[in-house]
Amino acid sequence: MTASSLSPKSPVRFRVRVNRLVLYTALVAVAGLFLGPFGWLILTGLKAPSELAAAPVHWLPAHIQWHNFADAYKLIDFLGYARNSLIIATLYAGLVTLSSAWVGFGFARLAAPGKKTLFGILIGSMMLPQMITLLPTYLIFAKLGMVDTYWPWVLWGLSSAPYLVFLFRQFFAGLPRELEEAAIVDGCGYGGIFWRIFLPQSWPVLSASFVIAFTWTWGDYIAPQLLLSTDRSTLAVAVMTTYVAPSGSPITNLQAAASVMYVVPILLIFLVAQRGFVSGMSTSGLK
Amino acid sequence: MTVEQVAPEAGRARADRTAGRVRSAERGGPTMTTRRHRAFYMFASPWIIGFSLLTIAPMVYALWLSFTTYDGISPNWHYVGLGNYRELLHDSATWDSLGRAGLFAVMSVPLSIIAGLGLAVLVNRPVQGRGLFRTLLYVPAVVPPVGAGIAFKNLFDQNAGAANGVLTFFGFDAIGWLADPYARYVLVMTVLWGAGNIMIISLAGLQDVPRELHEAARIDGASAWRTFRSITVPLLSPVLLFQTVTGVIASVQTIMPMLLAPIASTGGLTTIPQSNYTYMIHVFSEYFALGRYGYASALLWLLFVLILIATGLIFKLTSGVVFYNVDPEAKK
Repeated sequence: MTASSLSPKSPVRFRVRVNRLVLYTALVAVAGLFLGPFGWLILTGLKAPSELAAAPVHWLPAHIQWHNFADAYKLIDFLGYARNSLIIATLYAGLVTLSSAWVGFGFARLAAPGKKTLFGILIGSMMLPQMITLLPTYLIFAKLGMVDTYWPWVLWGLSSAPYLVFLFRQFFAGLPRELEEAAIVDGCGYGGIFWRIFLPQSWPVLSASFVIAFTWTWGDYIAPQLLLSTDRSTLAVAVMTTYVAPSGSPITNLQAAASVMYVVPILLIFLVAQRGFVSGMSTSGLK
Repeated sequence: MTVEQVAPEAGRARADRTAGRVRSAERGGPTMTTRRHRAFYMFASPWIIGFSLLTIAPMVYALWLSFTTYDGISPNWHYVGLGNYRELLHDSATWDSLGRAGLFAVMSVPLSIIAGLGLAVLVNRPVQGRGLFRTLLYVPAVVPPVGAGIAFKNLFDQNAGAANGVLTFFGFDAIGWLADPYARYVLVMTVLWGAGNIMIISLAGLQDVPRELHEAARIDGASAWRTFRSITVPLLSPVLLFQTVTGVIASVQTIMPMLLAPIASTGGLTTIPQSNYTYMIHVFSEYFALGRYGYASALLWLLFVLILIATGLIFKLTSGVVFYNVDPEAKK
């Protein structure tokens, strides 16, 4: 830029201001568009049934029906379903985080014939369509009598997730070599090295992995729908399927209120854990 | 696993290890190496076992079922060879639903990548509060599918939805968004709502673009669009390729049509409007409405093979276009 363009009255300066205004307008408009569906969900959850049946649309509730949230909570065993979701998500996230860290350590710090091929398969398996394997897996779990138990999530958790393995592998590969050499001199086995030296160093990745896996499971609809009976199922399934009047028609406002209560915990977890979550996301995307 | 737990052997193990270390230090002896090999497989075993039992085995099981008439109830199921495959090739429901899935992928994948990339460029500009905007635009991507499904059902409801509210406000007729033929656009919009995902990934790529490149382009007098097209997009191309592949795979197996249907469960598949009756929904209906496990398994295997072919094609078609700034092999 030349010196003249920096003077306060210059046309360039003016253009920069206009640009900034356009940019802000665009940002606010897009943000509004993206928050709209969720805002509408909250509004729907605060309306009376009569308002939802009327045309043209009632933009805002005439009287805010706060009790819809209490009603949605009481109509079904909301707390029970939330507890099921919490148990399954914690169980899976805890197990899969530990097992993925364990496997990731192997891929990051150890060598063996066949490792490269296995790593290729691991990365390739991230692209396997999971819905295709889920349906036959469901048949197998049914044969083994594991339907309507939480065993499938235990087994899935123990067998690690390729995406998280990759996350841990990237992290462990970046730690200095001296870490394990000192431990080997001290006579520490690889299990000990992993458990006592590497794991305590990896809190950021451990928490990111836990949050990611927890969010997956809390948000999963199809696996609990197939594997669990209605009573033992998760909040996702309950919110989607149980807000139905005896006549068979959906209870729209209560379902909207319930889905807000179902989504908000995940949003809060995301906002708290944002940094780890996002850095995990971008690491995987750049591979 | 700890040394304390195996106290009697610990001394000897330690001696062995020290000896191994000394030997390997002297002449690269085998003890240390073998130990590391064994340790690798000990660490990799949860994944190897889990992948074999919970991914490979179900796929093989499905392949076997696809040659039978198995339905889970009738004891007289039998081997029919390629019978199921012959049937699905001649069933128009296969190709119609596959076409709908393909159309959905063709609409939703490019649009969401363009949207995500556009948002990334927007929030990469040095403005105050851009961190807040990034968060706000990313939040919908965190909303679970059930929440998104219910939100969009309400947003596009014939009477109570905001979309028709806006249309009628401007004097247009209300539209049955959740019915044919509009339901597919609502389905695409649920994907676009999650474009914050692609935004975050592209943003990381954008921040990796070296400053000097932009400065050099500016000195050369390149316009903003030209810089974007000739510098940003090529440098982001590996990320975009990855997003295309995962986007296509995600879109063919989406269950969102189920969540947008009036009755959202495997029992309500018939309430899904025709335009959202994708291949995956067809598979679910053969599986759960009709209980034809054998036939449905053949459908799954056809989809699996088609996905492999599509992925291979995408990689092949883009092999000359995608630009790797750093040799990906060199990273290992």
